[in-house]
Amino acid sequence: MDVRAAPSDAEVVARVLGGDAEAFGILIRRYEAGLLRFATRMLGSRDAAADAVAEGFVRAYRHLASCREPQRLRTWLYRIVTNRCKSHLARRSVADVPLDEAPPVADPSDTEATLERGEQLALVQRALTELSADKREAFVLKHVEGLSYEEMAAVTGERIPTLKMRVHRAREALLKALEEDA
Amino acid sequence: MNTIDPRIHQALDGELSPDALPPELQRAIRQVAAAADLLAAPVRGVSVELRVMAEIHRPAPTWARRVARWIVTPHALTFRFRPAWSLAFAAAVAVLTVFAARGGEPQLAEHEGIAQFVGRFPDARSVHVVGSFNDWRAGSIALEDQDHDGVWRATVVLPAGTYEYMFVVDGERWVPDHLADRLVADEFGRENSVVIVRPARR
Repeated sequence: MDVRAAPSDAEVVARVLGGDAEAFGILIRRYEAGLLRFATRMLGSRDAAADAVAEGFVRAYRHLASCREPQRLRTWLYRIVTNRCKSHLARRSVADVPLDEAPPVADPSDTEATLERGEQLALVQRALTELSADKREAFVLKHVEGLSYEEMAAVTGERIPTLKMRVHRAREALLKALEEDA
Repeated sequence: MNTIDPRIHQALDGELSPDALPPELQRAIRQVAAAADLLAAPVRGVSVELRVMAEIHRPAPTWARRVARWIVTPHALTFRFRPAWSLAFAAAVAVLTVFAARGGEPQLAEHEGIAQFVGRFPDARSVHVVGSFNDWRAGSIALEDQDHDGVWRATVVLPAGTYEYMFVVDGERWVPDHLADRLVADEFGRENSVVIVRPARR
């Protein structure tokens, strides 16, 4: 059986920079799911998230030579997509953020548990959308994407005490909103 | 301001065991964890791979089209002025003006100007300049150090406008030009230098 370890990010980056553009697909498949989830939680819309992530990957490809630490590519990609999300948010007011995570239309194949989970997700997403973009970003990076405060600082360019404060405020606001909705 | 017991934050930051907390605080911790768990569900039915790969395989737009698009696109810039170097910039502009006015120099179109890039890199084997004028493609504009004194130079004819740029040393090290009049922060956390190319003929 031919068992080979997946190439590291740095190896894939070297291949792409060496002219193998197809290898960039490896990086897309590796990080697409997490970035789409992050952008969807930030923007409240799958379509807007797909735009932000696609733009982010294209920018990453075009500026790949300037990625100084390819072994920390994930952090670099989150930084680019974070900035794309901020650009999208700057072009519209928060009130315009669509909630396409609204309770799903009943499907015969959906179980009761699936529907209930969808409703709970819509409730949490709505509470998340009510946070300021900075707090939402901090909460999602910390609790959804599982980044350390050091990684968050690299992604956002903010200081760790600032990020901790934002996460704390986000938790408090989220708990309050969830209590009110309960 | 809404505040919660600080021990909840300590537990959620991994600084304290939740088991050591009273039941009502454990309930708040479970609420946050459950919310995060819901939000961590994958976003189904969306993929950008085909779209991104199609975009990066698309033939690059022509040089003129890229410049035109860059000029008409609104850019948000954060300027950081360095007054100490404004004299150097003024001198550089004067040199450019004299250079542009001399006979026998490159024939410039009405809206073109000359940008001169100068950097001191004593141990470099190669220096290139990349920027918004060449779509940040390394290798297309090389600086030369003909007298081997470590000072690298290139003179480039560009359409009049404002451009961001960086030097690429030995093909791998990206460094801003600290003698530039301005440095601007870009979205990748770097500082880009800014050059303003004025039309040689008005």
